[in-house]
Amino acid sequence: MKKVIEVEHLVKFYGNLRAVNDISFDVYAGEIFTLVGPNGAGKTTTTEILECIKTPTSGIVKVLGMTVPGDEEKIKRRIGVIPQEFNAFERLTVRENVKLIADIYGVKEDIRRYLEMLGLWESRDKKFRTLSGGMKRRVGICMAVVSNPEILFLDEPTTGLDPEARRETWDVIRKLKKSGKTIFLTTHYMEEAEKLSDRVAMIMNGRIVAIGKVKELIEKHGGGFKVLSGEKVIGMFATRREAARCALQLYEQDKEAEMIEPSMDDVFLNLVHKKINERGELL
Amino acid sequence: MNAIVIFKTLTKNWLRSPTGVFFSILFPLMLLLIFGTVFGGEESTKYSLYVQNHDVHGGNATNLSRAFIEALESTNSFEISELDKDVNVSDFIKHQSGIASYRFLIIPDGFEEHALNRSITVRNGIILDTLIYIIDNYGAYMNQSELENITMGKDALSAWMNQTNTTKSPEILLIADENAQSTQIVKGIVYSVVNAFNSKLIGASDTITFKSENLQQRQWKAADYYLPGYIASFIMTNGIVGITTTITEFRRNGIVKRLSATPLKKRDWILGCILQQTFLGFTLTVIMVGVGWVIFGVRAIPDIYAICLIITGCVTFSSIGMTISGFVKDVEAAAGIGNAIAYPLMFLSGAFWPLDLMPAYLQSVAKFSPVYHFHDALREIMIYQHPENAITGFAVLALLAVVFTCAAIKLTKWKDL
Repeated sequence: MKKVIEVEHLVKFYGNLRAVNDISFDVYAGEIFTLVGPNGAGKTTTTEILECIKTPTSGIVKVLGMTVPGDEEKIKRRIGVIPQEFNAFERLTVRENVKLIADIYGVKEDIRRYLEMLGLWESRDKKFRTLSGGMKRRVGICMAVVSNPEILFLDEPTTGLDPEARRETWDVIRKLKKSGKTIFLTTHYMEEAEKLSDRVAMIMNGRIVAIGKVKELIEKHGGGFKVLSGEKVIGMFATRREAARCALQLYEQDKEAEMIEPSMDDVFLNLVHKKINERGELL
Repeated sequence: MNAIVIFKTLTKNWLRSPTGVFFSILFPLMLLLIFGTVFGGEESTKYSLYVQNHDVHGGNATNLSRAFIEALESTNSFEISELDKDVNVSDFIKHQSGIASYRFLIIPDGFEEHALNRSITVRNGIILDTLIYIIDNYGAYMNQSELENITMGKDALSAWMNQTNTTKSPEILLIADENAQSTQIVKGIVYSVVNAFNSKLIGASDTITFKSENLQQRQWKAADYYLPGYIASFIMTNGIVGITTTITEFRRNGIVKRLSATPLKKRDWILGCILQQTFLGFTLTVIMVGVGWVIFGVRAIPDIYAICLIITGCVTFSSIGMTISGFVKDVEAAAGIGNAIAYPLMFLSGAFWPLDLMPAYLQSVAKFSPVYHFHDALREIMIYQHPENAITGFAVLALLAVVFTCAAIKLTKWKDL
């Protein structure tokens, strides 16, 4: 598979603060790669270096075979971005905001296709400020895809959205992957990383603590399948089959039985020994 | 070119912002109407003056005191209100509300009688002085009897004057706030009326006459002077305060970061912002000239030189604004710094009042203000139609425009925001 992002020993300092601490990873064409971790872990700094809006302190960064810093202008023409806490011109309509980005990239094509793809055509003449949070994010995604980029950087695209708007955004992201885009996603929602990603890098204090396919990470660090009877943990099992057998036995003894599959939350808990709350803070 | 894309976007965004349009166009227009009416009206200023006449006999003011009040009125400088002679001035002030400036002129009892008596004494004094002057300078050329007759007359007049010269001059009292600027003007006018009265009472004709002529061949109105000042000032405040707060707000809400992640170049962003301010400056100029023409009858004529100067001014002040927003992160701080720079520049520039009214050292300081060069050059071009006199102003603004545009490009962060 073709590497579209290559990061080796990336370090970023803010004064004395080491925000990114010697991380290395690759992203392959057509995959959804997620950088997951709590607030302040270094997700946004890493993403913004890849987006060419921050300068790395040291390390090798290549996007689409081009180097950061050095080839920023060429890279920017081939990527699409939604920054964290995305915003647009409030008094401009949906169409005008998308058209602005299309004009900057010199896109001649009619932007209607993109507005329709993101379900924004009906709202095209609404002012950005009047939209709901979910709609605003969709406008952000539309602004990111209107230049038909090869890689899309989505920095916490669902933070602050209600569950329905979050699921709508996930559908859009899946649709974009189907259309052949490589997606670089950051999130502090483990569920989001698990449901959307092909591969995940778990980041904590500027370091990658685990990287791999979602399934592999869960198998390796998820702690196995849990069988509960009421509140009581009956046992942990390496495979689903073993856990199911245990649950069945409990059921035959007329006891309550519940089998819980390991998730990315368990991976994080097992690796970092902490949980992340809804706001992305460590508990 | 992407600068045009940014220009169009910012202009649309600004046009749809009621607050933005109010502070950029309507607020300056409101100030033009207020200041234009206060300073630029056709009617001359009248000062309020309370006159308390104590020289009253049988319920009627004496002829001379009445004539004095009429002489004050004839100057067209005062709005005179007569105050009953029994009113205590201090009590009167205490019972007035508001912060108006009060001036009282008190004509004393016996004004007419003492003035007339004093005028006879003064006339006699003049005769006596004249006789002494004749004896001293021409006595040697007179025969004995002529000299004796004149000397006798002089001695008789002198003796009579020694017996009767006890009449004091009646004293008119002006009570006013010494700290008020208008007091000096009021004093001057009252003093000239008193002088005219003194001359009339002794029957003297003018030894020296005075007349004034307009310096200009055309009759300029005050609004002609002020309009270029207002235009220059508001282009400056829109540039320095407006652009600084807008750009820092765009940075705070993430729009600058969003744009910096596209192929848009920093240079195009800055040029787009400056272009938008130039458009705004033009719109403001057109509206202000129109309003000045319709309401105040200003004869400002924007020609190609004026257009070039306005472009240069807009670029200068918006590039100063862009430079400030290049290093100020916080919106509130940006507004504060913008105001701290803009208002001294504006008030020291002579845009709102002629520099001659300011102390000499401030006049020297004012000439360092780019706003001074802007409105001075604009006035030369638009009002006096002497573009050749605007070369210095043009050069100063053009130099600043280049320096600050370069500074804005250098200082504006487009990475690591």
